[in-house]
Amino acid sequence: MSFIIKKMSRRALVQALIALPALSLFRKLPDADAAGPKPDPNEIVEVGGWILKRSDLA
Amino acid sequence: MIFDSYEAYRAANFTPKVCILGSGPAGMTIARKLGAAGIPVVVMEAGPREFSDDSQDFYRGSTVGDFYFDLDITRLRFMGGSSNHWAGWCRVLDKQDFEPKAWVPDTGWPIARTDIEPYLPEVRDILDLPALRPDMPISDDIRWVQLIKSPAVRFAEKFGDELDKATNIAVVLNTCATELAGDGRRVTGARLWSHGQDAGSFSADYFIVCTGGLENSRLLLWSNQRSNGGVVPNATALGRYWMEHPTFEGGNAILADYNAFEVDAVNEAFFSPTLAAMERLQIMNFGIRLIETPYPGVKSLIADLACTAPSMAEWMSYQLSQRLRCAAQLYVAWEQAPLASNQIELSKTDVDHAGVPRIELHWKKSELEHRTLLEGLRLFGATLIEKNLGRVRIADWISNGQDYPTNDETAGHHHMGGTRMGTDISKSVVDANCKVHGMDNLYVGGSSVFCTSGQCNPTTTITALACRLGDHLSKVVTA
Repeated sequence: MSFIIKKMSRRALVQALIALPALSLFRKLPDADAAGPKPDPNEIVEVGGWILKRSDLA
Repeated sequence: MIFDSYEAYRAANFTPKVCILGSGPAGMTIARKLGAAGIPVVVMEAGPREFSDDSQDFYRGSTVGDFYFDLDITRLRFMGGSSNHWAGWCRVLDKQDFEPKAWVPDTGWPIARTDIEPYLPEVRDILDLPALRPDMPISDDIRWVQLIKSPAVRFAEKFGDELDKATNIAVVLNTCATELAGDGRRVTGARLWSHGQDAGSFSADYFIVCTGGLENSRLLLWSNQRSNGGVVPNATALGRYWMEHPTFEGGNAILADYNAFEVDAVNEAFFSPTLAAMERLQIMNFGIRLIETPYPGVKSLIADLACTAPSMAEWMSYQLSQRLRCAAQLYVAWEQAPLASNQIELSKTDVDHAGVPRIELHWKKSELEHRTLLEGLRLFGATLIEKNLGRVRIADWISNGQDYPTNDETAGHHHMGGTRMGTDISKSVVDANCKVHGMDNLYVGGSSVFCTSGQCNPTTTITALACRLGDHLSKVVTA
């Protein structure tokens, strides 16, 4: 693990760290109805105060 | 001519046609206009040339309702008035600010923006402004708006020499009117207070009250009480419909491109809603101040991280010995609905050194305003998504409907309403020419005549209205 971190650039490391908190957003996704229509990826949703496009959560 | 006391002024045997109370942006602008028209005018300035605690003490008062600034902090009582602590932000009220909003009672002015536009070149000279630029639509809902950071003209510094040399303008310092006397048709005189003592009565053909957005109401309420309604015969609206620009940090934005918007010298850009968006959402006007923090390289990434993982970003900032804030900050200032219950009253228990009751300000933000704040941020967020410009995060206290924080900006120190302009005498105090309803020789200058506040800082509109009133009075007085 530490070998991987040493090999990563500083920028890549920070980008990975930025991505981590976004994982929590998935927990708040509304349940998709498998039989229903696919949600509009351009629909605007609010998650944790963020105003996002549904496709941001994919 | 500038005199340091009423006694010195009286010794000069100057005979004015017009008496202006107050030497702030409105009073001084009207005086210069009248002086230029050859009309002898006296300006009574309550305070001295420089700040003084003794003078400032006259402005103490109390507030009932929402948290607000101390009333002796939010304005200044010396030559040049509150221009002495003005931040310099300039913009004229929008065209739609003058028009009634069908979804908000008691909105709309008896004049249009086009009535003050002819004075904007003069206003630019007075306030040292660059060219005014039109709004630029960003989407159907949001427009980029120009809010100029001017050199913040201190009126006493800029115009002091000119006034000192003027032969038909007399500025009398340390002298205020404690009350006006009237017979229901005309103001018959003013009771003066100079250098800590009663200075007797004073008369002129015309009086213009320009003592500020709080003090205009106080002086007229007290005068009317003392003259049994002889100064403001139709006083139902006197002191009422008082407004501010509530201002709070509303959230943050991550921008895809920090060059997407034109920003000013301190990396700030301003946005307001379109009329269609206000109408659709039934909200008031608002202004979003986007403060960019364009960090380079890794710092930019950490600043973005601060939006989603503040603890981690704080640790990384510490490692870099930097304090990096979440992306861009969004501050929101908005228009208050004009409510009769937001009003200036005279204290029943507290008076100043001259015996005039101090102000008791009743001020409360309404549900419509919280909705304006929330929906405004949502509109801005949706626009950034639509145009692929970035993402917005709304502060938790707004999303959750919690109380307004008391450690934020709170408001703009913009005191508007109280002697509002209108045609309905039950809901206004002055007419379209700023003349008090029913009175032949009493006028009001300054932001107390505003019917609605719009979202922008008021000084530019105050100055334009003062130029207009100066022109109007020049014709009236010389007719």
